[in-house]
Parts: sequence; structure tokens; C-alpha cells
Amino acid sequence: MRALLALLLLLAACTPSTPPPVRLKVLASTELADLGPVLAELKKATGVELAVEHRGTVEASSSLAGFDLAWLSTNRFLRLRGAEPELATSVMTSPVVLGVKASKRAVLGERPTWADVADRAALGQFRYGMADPRVSGGGMAALIGVATAAAGTGAPLRPEDVSCDRLQGFLAGRAFDVPDPVGEFTRRSDVDGVVAHESELLSLNASLPEPLEIVYPRDGIILSDYPLMLLKPEHRATYDRVVEWLRAPAAQQMIADRTWRRPVDPSVQRNEKLRADLGTALYFPDRSEVIDRLLLFHDRAGDGRQVVFVLDYSTSMRGARLAGLREAFASLNGFDRFYVGETVTIIRFAGTVLEERSITVRGREDLDALLSVVASDDLRDNTAIWAALDRALQLARGEAAVVLMTDGENNAGPSVDEFLRVGRGEVPVFPIRFGEASTAELDRVAQASGGRLVEAGAKSLLEAVREIRGCR
Amino acid sequence: MREPEFKVVDPRRRFLLWFVPPLAVFVCGLVVLLVSGHITGPFRSVTVVRALFASKRDFFQDEQVKRILMARGYQVHVTPIGSRDLADKPDLDSYHFVFPSGHVANEHVKSRRAGKHVVPYRPFFTPVVLATFREYAEALKEANVAQPHGQSEKPLYYNLDMAALKKLADDATRWNQLGLANGNRVIVQSPDPCKAYSGATLVGFFATAFGDEPPQTVEAAEKLALDVKPYVDAQGQAGEDMAPKYFVPEGRTHAVIAVIYEHQYIAYQLRQKSIDTERVLLYPKKQHQSTPELISFTPEGDRIGELMMNDPELRQRAVELGFHSLGWNGETGADFGGYIAGRGLPEPPAGEEGRVQLPKAELFERMLDVVGDCK
Repeated sequence: MRALLALLLLLAACTPSTPPPVRLKVLASTELADLGPVLAELKKATGVELAVEHRGTVEASSSLAGFDLAWLSTNRFLRLRGAEPELATSVMTSPVVLGVKASKRAVLGERPTWADVADRAALGQFRYGMADPRVSGGGMAALIGVATAAAGTGAPLRPEDVSCDRLQGFLAGRAFDVPDPVGEFTRRSDVDGVVAHESELLSLNASLPEPLEIVYPRDGIILSDYPLMLLKPEHRATYDRVVEWLRAPAAQQMIADRTWRRPVDPSVQRNEKLRADLGTALYFPDRSEVIDRLLLFHDRAGDGRQVVFVLDYSTSMRGARLAGLREAFASLNGFDRFYVGETVTIIRFAGTVLEERSITVRGREDLDALLSVVASDDLRDNTAIWAALDRALQLARGEAAVVLMTDGENNAGPSVDEFLRVGRGEVPVFPIRFGEASTAELDRVAQASGGRLVEAGAKSLLEAVREIRGCR
Repeated sequence: MREPEFKVVDPRRRFLLWFVPPLAVFVCGLVVLLVSGHITGPFRSVTVVRALFASKRDFFQDEQVKRILMARGYQVHVTPIGSRDLADKPDLDSYHFVFPSGHVANEHVKSRRAGKHVVPYRPFFTPVVLATFREYAEALKEANVAQPHGQSEKPLYYNLDMAALKKLADDATRWNQLGLANGNRVIVQSPDPCKAYSGATLVGFFATAFGDEPPQTVEAAEKLALDVKPYVDAQGQAGEDMAPKYFVPEGRTHAVIAVIYEHQYIAYQLRQKSIDTERVLLYPKKQHQSTPELISFTPEGDRIGELMMNDPELRQRAVELGFHSLGWNGETGADFGGYIAGRGLPEPPAGEEGRVQLPKAELFERMLDVVGDCK
């Protein structure tokens, strides 16, 4: 008894005065629900209770009112709004990556890029789920990642880089976008993969009989760094205590072991799975217009778009020009590929319309059928550009764009003036000019329709087709 | 026959028996703690000193520094903040001292304290560097943009030609054109120049690629700023303090070239069991040294400043944390090179081509506002 008392006395003398218990209201990203055990330890060690409310990072970034702290996957969305709190300390990291069923992994090829994923998604060979980018940081990071990779500039996205919605092929493979993609994924059997944080996928794998393979796209990922942010300066002392505890090796170890996030303390031992090389990161845009445009194109996806190609098959196209045209069609892949659900119409013309063919893409066979139309050697005399374009506009339904490729002067059918005399509705026309075609006439039609003239001469035909591919 | 004896227990003795052993343990412990400086006794009260810090807070957050100060009777309460934010903070006067990272913020703070107690101390300096990884430095070497410093097979330091780096950026060069598996453009990532001194220094570094003469007028400063802006904007959204993320295993994913301070790198290397030869530094040929000033507003602040200048233990610890020490007259201490060499680290380049000539504080500040679109 005496010894015990003495020990207690000694302990009391040695323990620094414990600060009074505190309860802080925290707004945290949805995926941080797995931090429960860590927060229980935090409370035990520091007396600080974090009362957490969970919301998607994008949604949470629109208003932090009423909270003492925020703990989101990133403060970048806040920074875009100029609403970044003064104090933020990164606690852990996790990249947004792709989890793929082992049986479907081969479809993507070895070390795939986002472009490869978009390519297979467009072909209907790969269906995935993702988080809703209007709500979730993970979903938005995926969208930014894919759009940055699609723009291919090697630089941060600018608003003009998102002007062509090259995301449509990628989004064609999307089975769902919901606030909780990992939960939805486990309930569905018809989905091949899911875009989410590495931490969520590794946690899911621990419960799956056949774990997902984790793919780190080669062209770059976006890394969430989970800053803990102080919103109310009067809680500064408590905030410091929490941050100090969270960044100490013991808590970092616990975070790595229990939540599969990567510690920010380089000295902490990591599980093998948390040592995978992440490769390159994509730069994060610094303009909020970029985010707005991404969401615009995201929301528009999957509406059964149509693209109409009006192709000049007059005899002057024989040789290199026709070969170039065919090659351009055959090379449309990655972000440029015709995608599942998209309707592709091809009109071949010379003095009259020679052939018209409409296909709604369901898979690779449909793309082969389109290539066989383009492969035709049926070339005729004369060039009735405006008659063919008129026919194209009759075939256009709903959301559509028309691509006109020609190398000559109009010498049959109506003139450009006659063509333009009729009201032309909302369908944009993108003429690709090469050879002797009239710049002035093509430009007039492009302007009148809200489209744009592309010179095939300045760059390769393939680049020209890519440039206008799916543009609005 | 003897009288029956009553054994009377002396209550004092009983109390002492109970009390003395734990007391002895307590006293011993207290003495040990007092001597080691972990706590202070009642005879010497602890003065809590409140201070605002930019990137140099690592120094005052170091356990040994805290211990040394505690042994001297001081506890410094650190509030971290970017250098430029620091200078603009409305409640500046409520602190005992501030410790911004560079001359613009230093000048700004001093002008705001005009007519009040304001005493500057300059205990040490550290160069601003571009931190990268071996394969990236080697790629820059192949492209004639960087040259290794010293003869080592695995040099830790490279001298960087800013004009050549600017040329790579002008050509929108990507790392995969220089033989690396990275499709990103060659871009330097820094903290926001509106907020942090190291971000501001990047503006200064790129300015040297446009000529050596610092602008003398507002118009010239604005013009130069517009020239430099694209190179700083290229990184998209700027980050915060880059150093912690540079040193984690995912460092390459955070940034392949990050603006940090040399002392952060030296301190990291000194903590390693063996030297990390993967992480290397690029020194712009015209270097820039950050000379943080401890600017004191009160007698308590003065005391910390004096300790920083005079206390041998604190000064030794500063070197161990990677700083070059400075004397009262601004002379460089000889202890830095010797100490790190003793720990197996080669001495970094001292900047053969001299220093970046930064424009006067108000002109430089104008440049930063233009480059960073600061509010």
C-alpha cells in the first residue's frame, strides 16, 4: 500500500499538468471516417476530442462556417477561392489511383496511362466507378488528372485546355459516380474498377477474397495531403497540441498501419504496399474557371453525342491525301477515340453524296465498320461541298458537331451563299482545309455555325482531326 | 520483574518512514531534470516569450534548442506564418519578437515599428536553393544547364545556370525530352511568392536571367516582373513550405524541383545514418542568402536575441541544424564547413559569381505583387 502510494505520488510529480479536456468541431473529408481509432487515441493522450462531421472535400470547401477545424484531403480548392485558412499542416498523404479487378487488369496493358484507360473505356472494354466530382475531392482529383493528361501540355490546366471535351471517351466507361464509390463498387458485379484514394483501395483489399490490383497511371497522379486546418484562431493552443500528437512517430505509425495512408514522417516504418512508387504528379490548376469547365463537361457526358464527318472523295483526293485521311481515322485512339454511346455518321461525297453511314458505337466491331467506309476507293469527279454539308445537317440530331474535310473548290450543287441563306441552327461545323479549298468560304461557314476552321496544311491531318475531335 | 513495555511508535518517525523514500526519489528526479534543463525550478521563473516565425521556426521548435532556452529561463511560444504575411499581421505589436526570413519582410516590420522598441539581431544565414533528385540534376547536366560542384562521383551540389534553365522553360521542354520518364514540363515549384520568402526568392533568381542590374524605378520593376511572371506562374497553384514534402519517400511526386533553404537539407542529411545521395541541391550561380533577422520588440525579445548571438550552446546547435553562423559584425563563422565535413558532408558551393542583386525592398515588393497577383 505504502509503495503504491509512493509510486502514485511520484507519478503525479512527474506528469506534466494535463490540460483540461476540450471538444472541437471538425469538418472532415468523407473518407476520413476510418480515423475513428486514431481519434480515440488522440483523446486519451491529449484530452482533445474531435467531434467530426464528414463531407466530400469539394462540397466542404464551399463553406467551413460553424467549425473549429477542417481536415480535408487538400486545401487546394479553398486556395482557388482565396478562402484558405492561415494555418494548415499536412498530416498524411494518399494518391488518387485506379483499383482494377485482377481478371480485367490485362485489358489496360502494362504500366498504363490515363490515355490508355480512356481508350479502353471508350471502347467499352473497361467500366469503372468514381466519386462524384461535384462533391468529392477524390472524384475531382480524378477529373483534373484525366483532363491534364488529355491536354498533354505537361503543364497545369488552363481554362482553354478544357475547351475541347476530350474527357468524353474516358467518361463513357463510367458506370457510376456517387459520393461513396468504394461502397458502391462492392455492391456491383458489372464494374471492372474504381477510381479512389490508394488508402480506400488498400483498406477494401483487406476484405476482398480477390484483391484489386492498384494502378498508378504513368502520366501522373494527384496526391492528397490531408492538411489539418485551424479555422478559429482562439483554438490555436489546442490545434498545436493535436498537430504535434498527429505528427509524432507513434500516431504516424498508427495512421499508416490502420488507415493505409502514407506518413509524412520519413522515419516511420511502412508496409510494403505503402512503398509503391507513385511516379509523376500532375500540376494543379490555379484558376477556378478550370474546375467550373471540367464540371460542365462532366455533367454533359453520356448524352449520346453525335459527330458527322463529311469527307471529300473527289478524284483530286487520290494518293497522299486520301491515305492521310484513312490514317487519321485509324489513329484515333486514347482520348480521341470514338466512344461507346457516341453516334458517328460518315458522308462521302464528290459531285453528289456517294455514301452515308451512321453507327452508334457499341464496341470495336463498330469502329472497324467505320474504317471500312473510309477505306472505300470509290472516287468520283466534281465537288459539291455545300450540298453534302446540307445533307449532314439534316442527319445531325441533338448534341452534334460536323467535321468537313475537303481539298477543292465547290463546283457542283448550291453555292456557299445559297447554302448560308437557309437558317443553319445550332450545329457547329469544323472545316479542315487542305489543298486548294477556299479559306474564305470555309471560314464563313465555320463562323456562321459557331465552329472553327482548322488548317491541315500547317500540321498533320491527324492533329487537325484531334484538335476538333468532339469540340464544342 | 520488569515493567511491561509499551512499544510507543513515534508518529514523526512513522511519517518519515513513509515519506522519505518517495521524497528522495522526487528530489533526485527534480535535480536531474533541473540540471538537464527540461524544467526550471521555482527559484528561476520561466519567461514565456511569444514570437512570430516564418520558415526558421524549425530552429525554435528543435528539442535541444528548447532545452537550452529553458535552462536559461525562457520558453518561446512559436506561431508559424509566411514571411510576407508576418509583416502584414495586424496584431504584430502583441509579440515579443518576430523572425521573418528575408530582407523585404525585415524592412517592412522595422518600418511598421518606427518609433517603438525595435532591435534586430542576425545570428546566422542560409542560402536559398533548388532541391531536386539525382537523375533530374544529371539530366540538367547533360543539357548543359547545371554543372556538378566538386569532383565527387555522386556530387550533392550542382551549380545552376538560370539563363539556361529559362531557355528550357521558353522551349516548353519536358523532362522526357531530357531522357526521364516524366511528361511534365521543366518547372520549378515554390511556395506562393505572395506569402513566403523562398517563393519570392524564385522571382529574384529568374530575374537574374534577364540581366544583372536590379531595377531602380517602379516602372522598371513592373516590367521585369512581367518578364519573370510566366516562369513562376508555370507551376500552377503554388504550394506551402516545400521542404517537409521534399524529404518524404514520395518527394519526387510532390515536386521534382522545389525551392527550399540549404539548412533544411543539411539538417536532413545530418539526421541520416548515411548520406542520402538521391537528394541533391542546385545552386543558382548567383546565389541568394536568406539572412533572417530576429527583430525584438521588448526586453524579453532582446534577451533571446543576445542569447542567439552569444550563447555557445545555442550557436553550436544552429550549426548542427544546418545554419552558417554570423558574428556581431556580420562576419561568417568558420564552424559550419568544419562541422559538416566532420560529419561526412562536403561543403556546399559558396557562389563564385556573387549574389543576386535584389532591388530595394519596396521595388521588390512591387515585383512580387505583380508576379503573384497578390492582393
